[in-house]
Amino acid sequence: MNSHDTFFAQLSTLGASVTLLFGVVLLWRRSLGAYIGAFRWQSLVLSAVFALVGYYGHDHELYVVAVVLLALKVFIIPRYLKRLYQRVGGEREAQPYVNIATSLIVAGLLVMLAYAITRPLVMVSKLPTRGGIPLAVGLIFVGLFVIVSRRKALTQIVGFLVLENGIALLAALCTYGIPLIIELGVFLDVLMGFLVMQVIVYHIRDTFESIDVEQLNQLKH
Amino acid sequence: MTGYLLEIGQALLALLLAPGLVGFIRWLKARLQGRRGAMPWQPYYDLRKLFGKEVVMSKNASWLFRFAPYVIFATAVAVTLLVPLVAAPLPFDAVGDLLAVVYLLLLGTFFLALAGLDPGTAFGGMGASREVTVAAIAEPTIALAIFGLAVGAGSTNLGRIVAQTLSNPGAVINPGHLLGFTALFVVMIAETGRLPVDNPSTHLELTMIHEAMILEYSGRYLALIEWAAALKLLIFFSLLSNLFLPWGVATTLTPGALGVAVIALVVKLAALAVIVALLETRIAKLRLFRVPELLGVSFVLALLSVTSSFLLR
Amino acid sequence: MTFLFLLFPSLIAAALAASIRPYRALVGWVNALLSLAALGAAVKFADHAARGGAAPVFGPGELLRADGLSALMMVCVAAVASLVLFLSPGFGRESQYSPSQLRRYQFFINLFIFSMLLTVSANNVGVMWIAIEATTIFSAMLIPLTLTKSSVEASWKYILICSVGIALAFAGTVLGYFDFVTLSGRAENALNWPVLLASAPSLHPEVMKLAFVFLLVGYGTKAGIAPMHTWLPDAHSEAPTPLSATMSGVLLAVALYAVLRWKVVVDATLGGGYTNKLLIALGLLSLVVASFSIVLSRNYKRMLAYSSIEHTGLMCIGLALGPLGVFAAMLHLVNHTAAKSMTFLLAGRVLHRYHTTQIKGVSGLLKTMPGTAGMLAAGLLATIGLPPFGLFISEFALIRAGFATGRPWLMGAVLILLAVAFVAVIGHLNRMLYGAPPEGVAVGEKGGRSLALLSLNVAALVTLGLTLPAPFENLLNQIVRIVSR
Repeated sequence: MNSHDTFFAQLSTLGASVTLLFGVVLLWRRSLGAYIGAFRWQSLVLSAVFALVGYYGHDHELYVVAVVLLALKVFIIPRYLKRLYQRVGGEREAQPYVNIATSLIVAGLLVMLAYAITRPLVMVSKLPTRGGIPLAVGLIFVGLFVIVSRRKALTQIVGFLVLENGIALLAALCTYGIPLIIELGVFLDVLMGFLVMQVIVYHIRDTFESIDVEQLNQLKH
Repeated sequence: MTGYLLEIGQALLALLLAPGLVGFIRWLKARLQGRRGAMPWQPYYDLRKLFGKEVVMSKNASWLFRFAPYVIFATAVAVTLLVPLVAAPLPFDAVGDLLAVVYLLLLGTFFLALAGLDPGTAFGGMGASREVTVAAIAEPTIALAIFGLAVGAGSTNLGRIVAQTLSNPGAVINPGHLLGFTALFVVMIAETGRLPVDNPSTHLELTMIHEAMILEYSGRYLALIEWAAALKLLIFFSLLSNLFLPWGVATTLTPGALGVAVIALVVKLAALAVIVALLETRIAKLRLFRVPELLGVSFVLALLSVTSSFLLR
Repeated sequence: MTFLFLLFPSLIAAALAASIRPYRALVGWVNALLSLAALGAAVKFADHAARGGAAPVFGPGELLRADGLSALMMVCVAAVASLVLFLSPGFGRESQYSPSQLRRYQFFINLFIFSMLLTVSANNVGVMWIAIEATTIFSAMLIPLTLTKSSVEASWKYILICSVGIALAFAGTVLGYFDFVTLSGRAENALNWPVLLASAPSLHPEVMKLAFVFLLVGYGTKAGIAPMHTWLPDAHSEAPTPLSATMSGVLLAVALYAVLRWKVVVDATLGGGYTNKLLIALGLLSLVVASFSIVLSRNYKRMLAYSSIEHTGLMCIGLALGPLGVFAAMLHLVNHTAAKSMTFLLAGRVLHRYHTTQIKGVSGLLKTMPGTAGMLAAGLLATIGLPPFGLFISEFALIRAGFATGRPWLMGAVLILLAVAFVAVIGHLNRMLYGAPPEGVAVGEKGGRSLALLSLNVAALVTLGLTLPAPFENLLNQIVRIVSR
């Protein structure tokens, strides 16, 4: 690997780490506004990573992907999220199912698990970006953990969006992105999924008077 | 022989600079807050004053109360002998490495906590319990953060870590490197009792950690403890700057290199002082139950730094 | 060309529903007739495949392809779609839904049907993924058609759990693509199923193992495989009846189709052992969870939903039992689709009359709605595998396949669990059929049209229970050939 590649490898791994760290912020902070901010920054860094991979991988389609990602996840979706946050009131994640200190330790363990699981991938891959693959899978796990351990519906939506970011990062790092049409279709699906979730959260607010999913216990056996 | 002389000189330099560092930060904060502030060398005068004063002790205090300040001071000085302040590698490297540094720091903290408990006052007990809560998470984080670097260097010897980073400049933007730096920075704030973890200039019960433990001390004991706290600050600053950004550290023992190293050290310390002063002015103190969360974040960062250095060798 | 007849009718129907305001009953009729066009196209594909013809392709980059497996799924989806559209609310007589609700219903259900048809006809696994995610989105918009606490809760769980599952399936797709790319470099058509299958033997085993785990967990969530099934009873019981019928009847099968497509690829890399073990484990777990939940059920719609989980588990096990098992599983898929869609629609009629979904709130069905009661009994008995209905034959074939591949203990466990469900369902059915009807419930059968349509389902089930028509058998053999190379 020449030094040109090494620099690319370092930068891409750095970008992946920062993305993961913004995901960990979801486990650290309590305010829902902080989650939206963390997601925005994470998406910004992610689109920078896509642009970086496009530059060094000599693939111009990735610039398109980076721009679409920027427009969608840094501007459009956060705007709707903010509006949702303002309308459903200033609730905070005061008592998550797993407390914050434990969540952070679990996050560290999940990243180590991701490293263990993705060893075959890192060994098989010949790309310079392969160092970041475990971090992308770690981000996927962290997103899953956020969804499972948090009580507010809005937090779960942001956790889902972070999960999607993790998968996009995985695609960028291990295959320099997937065919453009598919990628755009994926973005469209994410946008629509988010809009539907948003609608349902409004419904939850209207019928349950709060967005605490602990209240959603009507349906049992 | 020159090596050992150099070591002692290094320790003396640290002793000399430490109060000045504390004073500089205080002066900066004052200026940032719109006050004139005391001169940056005010702490030297404070130390001289304290050494001249009489010691007043509680009747309930035991030998531990008199013994602790010496231990605290001695451990701090011992650490300055092991940390690469101006040169690396050093002759004492054979005796101590990363783990020795961590243990010595913890020893000092331990005795400080005991000394807080000894007179049997409420404030002392409260401060001691808070201090060990912070230390419980912070100490492993120090070890992990520096261990991340050690993995890259293949040894836990601090001097060798510095030499490794000097010979491989591109590693600075390595995620493991940066994560370790951030983790260590947060821990530094916690261990030296700076905002947002602890306010070094408060005596309110709600907000004291370090001050609560030393509330009973006076005279020369107080002077020793204050000096040791200043030394700890200097040690952490130099660990942060010399392990992660080691340019300026002398690798040969020529007067020229050493001179450059001293100047580089002063510059780095000043830069970090500016950053810390800015941070302290901008951020409010965290509520006490949030402190473990902050330290938990730094622990995760340190864990990630070790994992990434280890698995991406 | 036939592809257009397959896919466009539902798009046109959705556009019609969106553009005509206020809602008129005419929209319902037109949409139902349009769905027949799709059904015709699907049958044409199935016929072509049964004769052993080469799979037709269509579209840029061979976007759509209709081999035997796709054709069978298309027929199932289109048939249930037509049935449901003909029996949808709002055909003129008084309905419990407002015109705007009906408009929304027609719009989303047609888009839902379109996305299901696209899933089974897509050649590119990426497009297949996009279409499955679209099914989640469109159906999630429909579950809270009437806003109650339960329906909102059900829709939230549905969209969250299924979206997470589908996202994980996407991660698995990326990993499969990654392996291909590492081997052969990037290619535009790399995600086309035949291309993946052709290069499968040279892919890396470890990577494909990891990919399959993600894919099974992901698409399995959508298929209702335990332990990812928790959304299913809620969503299927709270959705409007036609949607429940479609979801239970075909959506689970479509998700299983996605798992099967990937299973074929992964099996070409690893040999069958690994995927079979996973499928059997999860299938058995689904059976256990479902059987015991049926015993504990107090809500008949939830009971039907758990029964769907049970059958999905059976199909998973069947797919893991070699060619005989695949034949049995596909036969079971068709039978289950026919039986479950019919049963749910009948349950909707019961709900409309009795205004409760609790089993203890329903009694004396034979007196109040004799026709519905009889067909409901037929549907439930078919579901639990009683002859002369088709499910008996397919379950028998599955057990036989199990013994043939040397897994007698597994088949023993399956039989016990099926028996548990059998007894439980008959118990619940008896409680609903006999006894005196509660007061305030009108007596007498209304609306014979739906019963007439549903009798088609009964006829299909009985036919499949007594014989196996030759073209259908050919189609199933073609599928077995595709799946087990």
